[in-house]
Amino acid sequence: MKHFWTRFHPSYPRTIIYMLQSSEYNIGNYFIWLNRTKNFLSVTRRRNLDYTIKASLLLVTAWLILLCVYTFVIYAIIKSIISMDILIALLGVVLFMISPMIVAFGITIPLFIGHKLIQEPKQRKTLKAASDIILKHSAIKIAIAGSYGKTTAKEILQTVLSETKKVAHTPGNINTPIGISRFIKKLDHKEDVIIFELGEERVGDVRKLCELTKPDIGVITGINEAHLSSFGTLELTTATIFELKGYLGDKPLYKNTESLLVKAEVTDGDKLAFSRKGVNGWHVSDIKTSIIGTKFVAQKDDKIISASTGLLGEHNIGTILVAVDIADSIGLTSVQIEAGINKTKPFEHRMQPKFIHGAWVIDDTYNGNSEGVQAGLLLLKSLDAKRRIYITPGLVEQGIKTKEVHEKIGRQIAKVADVVVLMNNSVTDYISAGLKESGFDGKLIIADDPLKFYSNLDAFVAAGDVVLMQNDWTDNYA
Amino acid sequence: MNKTIAVFFGGKSTEHDISIITALSSIIKPLELAGGYNVVPVYIAKDGKWFSDEKLKDISLFRGDGIEDFCKKTKPLAVVFDGGMVLRKTGLKNKDIRVDIAFPAMHGPYGEDGSLMGLLRMAGIPFVGSDMAASVIAMDKVLTKQVVQANDIPTSKFIFFSKVEFEANRDTIIKKVINDLKFPQFVKPSHLGSSIGITKVNNKDELVNAIEVAAFYDDKIIVEEAIENLIEVTVPIMGNETLIPALVEKPLSHGDDFFDFNTKYMSGGKKTSGAKQTGAQGYSELPAKLPNGLYEASLDIAQKVYRATGCEGISRIDLLIDSKSGIVYFNEINPLPGSLYAHNWRASGISSIELVSRLVDLAEERFARNQKLETTFSSSFLKQF
Repeated sequence: MKHFWTRFHPSYPRTIIYMLQSSEYNIGNYFIWLNRTKNFLSVTRRRNLDYTIKASLLLVTAWLILLCVYTFVIYAIIKSIISMDILIALLGVVLFMISPMIVAFGITIPLFIGHKLIQEPKQRKTLKAASDIILKHSAIKIAIAGSYGKTTAKEILQTVLSETKKVAHTPGNINTPIGISRFIKKLDHKEDVIIFELGEERVGDVRKLCELTKPDIGVITGINEAHLSSFGTLELTTATIFELKGYLGDKPLYKNTESLLVKAEVTDGDKLAFSRKGVNGWHVSDIKTSIIGTKFVAQKDDKIISASTGLLGEHNIGTILVAVDIADSIGLTSVQIEAGINKTKPFEHRMQPKFIHGAWVIDDTYNGNSEGVQAGLLLLKSLDAKRRIYITPGLVEQGIKTKEVHEKIGRQIAKVADVVVLMNNSVTDYISAGLKESGFDGKLIIADDPLKFYSNLDAFVAAGDVVLMQNDWTDNYA
Repeated sequence: MNKTIAVFFGGKSTEHDISIITALSSIIKPLELAGGYNVVPVYIAKDGKWFSDEKLKDISLFRGDGIEDFCKKTKPLAVVFDGGMVLRKTGLKNKDIRVDIAFPAMHGPYGEDGSLMGLLRMAGIPFVGSDMAASVIAMDKVLTKQVVQANDIPTSKFIFFSKVEFEANRDTIIKKVINDLKFPQFVKPSHLGSSIGITKVNNKDELVNAIEVAAFYDDKIIVEEAIENLIEVTVPIMGNETLIPALVEKPLSHGDDFFDFNTKYMSGGKKTSGAKQTGAQGYSELPAKLPNGLYEASLDIAQKVYRATGCEGISRIDLLIDSKSGIVYFNEINPLPGSLYAHNWRASGISSIELVSRLVDLAEERFARNQKLETTFSSSFLKQF
């Protein structure tokens, strides 16, 4: 009750539009967030409203709704004074008290109408145009699907194949039909290779994207509990991601067998099953990891690749091997492939090492899955350090497995870290329980203000420390 | 319940401004980040009035005239000694803040010279840093050198005299200095830090001018013979009985200069692997690259000085090395290093947060130890009157 008044603050309409925007206009997710929120003044902690045309129009509409309601309230009060009718006055008061709810729910109506009447027809047109472009495009099309690791795989393929080929890839984390369609419309038709990252939230998503992008080669990077809150079960998650296999048929599909759920779908003798040990006749040896990168040797028949990458962690080797095999199949020489691998560097917020005041800080905050946590902890354990510090808010969207996943994470962290910093939220207790269960005797810090902690990290570290920061907890999960 | 730590800074001192930076960035901020403490700023204005307010944690208040306006509009604190220390904001309803631990962050006179420590001893609360006696010794360069010499620790030749003596016997004193000490010499006010009022002199005329400058700041002046083949180093040390030295650091000043106030605090400094550093933090070799066992010798001498002078909590020992003879000479102690020399501690593996947390622990450890000492007893002395 003490935060009820925040619904009447002038920033309220902007806040609810921000919540809609951050939920990617998914009304279901928006309502869940709305229902969970008590203090509307503390919603916009990480970011602010991005004033796109859509957001601006919705904001104006929200204010109009509020204006209409308040006009009615004032009319009711004046009428009640004139006619001495207490019922009308009560109606006015009730309307005033529920005005925030009217705006919060009422705004979804013009959003829905706008989506159906304007956005959807426009999107259908864009999708059709993109599909026609891709049908005529002669480039080799590679589609990447998975619960995690898609962006990393995309960037590795881009970097290695670009050594001699003209390669385009979906930018950033664009992986929806409309986002990919817009990307396709910007192609200049001279590309040799196009790499698509396929997103999935519902059954059928991957199939639809395959029909749009028409891939020649597929890569499945891994399957786990990420997005479990959307799919409900791991079986549905797996089935959706393997819609890529259904589309490709006999065309090549690389599958990451370091993911147990993917491995379960792979038949014995599948040459395109990949791991850090090898793929399609390539075998790996002499692996060396450090804070500045990873080295290994890959050999197939008489071809030898001495790979040196700036990417941290052995878990990247399998994906690099996929790039090696595809590069080899489209005509790159071993020297060219080595040169391409040499250019692979940590991507922003993905196992990205930074040297701060004599300490190494590995920023892996874009990682959002349990496999990534495991890979990160393995890396942390392998590095020489005065103190191993692990920082995380936990993983979002783990659905019914939230407790289980986070207790497991706690147990895993306990075996590696000397200092653990948890950002205080709904999963903190689970991770703490996991730490306690494993007898963690290091230092545990619970940070109530993540932004304050991250922006003052330099006060926390000292020479000889290795810090691993993983995962992110955006405002819509707060 | 969180302990209340009062951080005292500012003061009637030429190092007033430096104290503000030490307090805000190297003490208050890391203490708050450490969690578990209620951190209260206590600002002592240049006129000696005490103030406490959350606004004093913001450096922007101290730029321009903001702090003067603040002091004019705000009622100074009253302090109550009730077996402890209570800071009282008087008004219609008094607001009391009980201080559990004091963290002195005042450089120079009144803050670093034992004055504040004496007050805190009488208040009966733990406080960070050296106790009163060690502070008195450390802030008097003559006294420090005398204590150090008595403990067979090498220090440069020196002569000292008071301002009154100089004014009464100017020629005699100048003659004695020139006869007993070789040029170049360093003329220093005995009680000041941050290299204020220090001059390097190469002849009689410069010597006379320099003494007059030093006499402007202090009533006791010291003249030291310069060390030849000089390498200057400094060593921060933390601890009470058990000592933890940080890294031996070598300021990279020009051969003919010394590390004066401007170089220490105002120079842009070199870029390091992180952000650009200002002052000494960006202009030194850390750890110092010293030949032939001099690194270990420096650590050894620094710790001997720390113990001989009774330092506790934290101090920084400045040393002068004759690189030809290999002798490490004691130069000065700084019982409250500027910004706690946090950059050096960080490079040695102790973060800013850990540094302040340990200093608070050391303060409590000493207080607990001292509590076991009997300082009062009942007697029948008064009955005879």
